[in-house]
Amino acid sequence: MTEGGKVAVVACAGMDKPLGSVARASVFKAVEELRPKKVEMICLPPLLAGVSSYSELIRALPVITVDGCAERCATKLIVKSGGKIRGRILVPDSAKKHNLVPESASHLGPNGEKLAQIIAEEIASAVDQLTQRM
Amino acid sequence: MAIFKEKVGVVSCSGEEIPEGTISRIATRLVLEKLRPDETVTICLPLFLAGEEGERAFAKQFNTITVDGCGKRCAEIGTMKYSGKPFATVVVTEILKKYPGFTLKSKNELNAEEWKFAEKVAEEIAKKVDEALGRQKIQARREEP
Repeated sequence: MTEGGKVAVVACAGMDKPLGSVARASVFKAVEELRPKKVEMICLPPLLAGVSSYSELIRALPVITVDGCAERCATKLIVKSGGKIRGRILVPDSAKKHNLVPESASHLGPNGEKLAQIIAEEIASAVDQLTQRM
Repeated sequence: MAIFKEKVGVVSCSGEEIPEGTISRIATRLVLEKLRPDETVTICLPLFLAGEEGERAFAKQFNTITVDGCGKRCAEIGTMKYSGKPFATVVVTEILKKYPGFTLKSKNELNAEEWKFAEKVAEEIAKKVDEALGRQKIQARREEP
């Protein structure tokens, strides 16, 4: 078992799309409410700017990426940084599947919050599966 | 012929580590949506760092203002690395020093006091936007024959 059975979760947190904000909110819910002891949240800008020890974490732990658009920046950047991706969530697919559209990037509104909660539960479920395998 | 209006790119950290990152993000949205909607665009930092050419080309050609939540200054470092020196930098922890006793707690949804503080930060960014546009206009005049 690595790092006490933890999983790293990375959201794209894109500024220009509401679904980027949903990605960010879902990761907060997973980390702070659903699986606080099992998840390490990775902040992308410090990882890429080389100002933190996140690069060691993403190489040591299985990683789940949560992308807000088809550019899939979180996934691309984790691959580029040598991380081992074991789960991926594309927020637009979840939005389509559940027919939930957030209000804006700064105010998710009830539908955006509901979508973030659903995705957070998906993350938690994936974390459980991954940690059981360790 | 299409005439392009001058724009300023605002690059915000997405800071998930600390509440100041959330403030930088909300303040940036306030500038884009309410304070200077016609004069600003946002540059998506993850997309920019991932190497999207459109984002990087914009940041090379137009003035940028970076908004960082903390002293790590990831947005500033990323912008300097890939597109050049930003016109101005705003660091939330620096602005916070002007409000002794006030502490930020929320990383997701801001409370009423934190919203007010985000509005103050947005005003600081808007001032930098005005300065950036003013400087661009002076440079344009100098280049005229």
